[in-house]
Amino acid sequence: MISLRGLTKRYGDTLAVDDLTFDVRAGRVTGFLGPNGAGKSTTMRMVLGLDHPTRGRALVAGRPYEDLRRPLRAVGAMLDARAVHPARSGRAHLLAQARSNGIPARRVEEVLETVGLAKAARRPAGTYSLGMSGRLGVAGALLGDPPVLILDEPVNGLDPDGVRWIRRLVRDQAAEGRTVFLSSHLMSEMQVTADHLVVIGRGRLLSDTSMAEFLAAASPASARASVPDPEARSRLVRRLAAVDGVSVEAAADGTVAVAGRTAAEVGDLAHECGVRLHALSDVRVSLEQAYMDLTARSVEYATGTDDDGGRG
Amino acid sequence: MAMADGGRTVGDGREPEGRRAGGLAGAVASEWTKLWSVRAASLSLVAGLVITGIFTFYYASIARINEHPVQPVGNAAASSVVVTQFVFVVLAVVAVTSEYTAGTVRASLLWVPRRHRVQAAKALVAGVVAFLGGGAFAVVGTAVAWSAFDGRASFDAGTTLGQAVAVGVYQGLVAVLTVGVAFAARHPAGALSVLVTLLWALPSVLLGLGGDTLAAVNDRLPHGAGDHFLRVGGDGPYSSATAVLIVAAWTAAAHLIGLYVLRRRDA
Repeated sequence: MISLRGLTKRYGDTLAVDDLTFDVRAGRVTGFLGPNGAGKSTTMRMVLGLDHPTRGRALVAGRPYEDLRRPLRAVGAMLDARAVHPARSGRAHLLAQARSNGIPARRVEEVLETVGLAKAARRPAGTYSLGMSGRLGVAGALLGDPPVLILDEPVNGLDPDGVRWIRRLVRDQAAEGRTVFLSSHLMSEMQVTADHLVVIGRGRLLSDTSMAEFLAAASPASARASVPDPEARSRLVRRLAAVDGVSVEAAADGTVAVAGRTAAEVGDLAHECGVRLHALSDVRVSLEQAYMDLTARSVEYATGTDDDGGRG
Repeated sequence: MAMADGGRTVGDGREPEGRRAGGLAGAVASEWTKLWSVRAASLSLVAGLVITGIFTFYYASIARINEHPVQPVGNAAASSVVVTQFVFVVLAVVAVTSEYTAGTVRASLLWVPRRHRVQAAKALVAGVVAFLGGGAFAVVGTAVAWSAFDGRASFDAGTTLGQAVAVGVYQGLVAVLTVGVAFAARHPAGALSVLVTLLWALPSVLLGLGGDTLAAVNDRLPHGAGDHFLRVGGDGPYSSATAVLIVAAWTAAAHLIGLYVLRRRDA
């Protein structure tokens, strides 16, 4: 588990991270979302003891990262996959990492196999593609077999295979009871990977809920129906429009978009007025849409109050 | 182990078996691995060996041709330190600043989150390499010089061995000093400017201008003090022990300055 309590980071007069309090729990994948510059990386660096918080604290397994005796056995982290000496081989990099925490050298070969980098392990890391660097970063995170994983943009630069691989990997790690905290700017990927979401904007906590609740809260229920008969279509539209809190749009191709009612409710209404349907489905809001709605609201709020010469 | 079998539960972070290094021992092992896994270190040592050979050959040849008084043969190697110290300066500067240019310093601090331990491990590895390398250079340099002196030098096993050890000690202290400066400066250019000024330019200027006061100042600088315990036969203003302590004081000061910057600043 990772706990943040009032975590704050100030650079000059800029609040990069503003009073963040939340827990990242074990056994699930927690996604960390926010626009560029929202403070995600700074937050992760403070959790890992790399940046000093201005106020507040972050605990991993109940302790500040600095106090962990063999930190790699407690927390596996990947921050910047490119941060490897270009002349050092991937294997030597992992070996130096393993020796720092008394991890047996054979574990290096194991994680190299796990991430599919065994063949390139003796090449200088400077010759690696972005995807291979990413795999090396993941190998480093897994090296100590830690119960907590912190991954900053792990799918960056990975090919579609690699993206699927990461998704499987983090899902499996969480299923084994580990704590997985990952950031990504790829919304579609986050939607299928994360169980829980922490969203920040301008360093402030905007949301800390399950994925399902986040999506449900973002927009009211809506459905789409296909009505072949034009006369029946206008009957259904009139009937729907009479209900409070519902907006309807009929398109020329025979589809009716209903905002404010689920597919089940629309189906019942259609049945009541004897309208024949060819198709009926709930319209699921995408994480991207939900996220955009949330950040748009927060930006609106921010621009409304930020008359004192706001920062970007 | 972990990835191989599927139905395992998550460990509690304790090590089940095997070696239990970590702490300073782990940090030193890690730094040692890092140092030798890139070519920079071995290249500097090869360069140092060549420079030592050339310097001591010319030093001894000049002494022979100009018919200098007979001196202990180890003085050639001891004098070559004015140049060869920069082999270890470069080695140690690169070991530290490459972490900042490649961004691996964050990785290093994730592996060893106690910052003083990261610096101590780097200082220890650089210091030991410079001690052993410096001593070995001195032995080789003495052998080269012996043939080039062609009789204009005296050999005493104890004195020669003592000088080789003294060269090792000086080089080791300079390497540790360099690690401190490099952690404070973070950039290779900045660190090298400071070190070249301190170890070469400033002494050259002070001695070039001449005068007792400036010479006295130079005696308090690392290389000036080092020279007094490296070379045998001159009359130093203080004992060899004091000379070692002066260099050690510079080293300690640089180490503390580096530590202060490393601990205070975000990585």
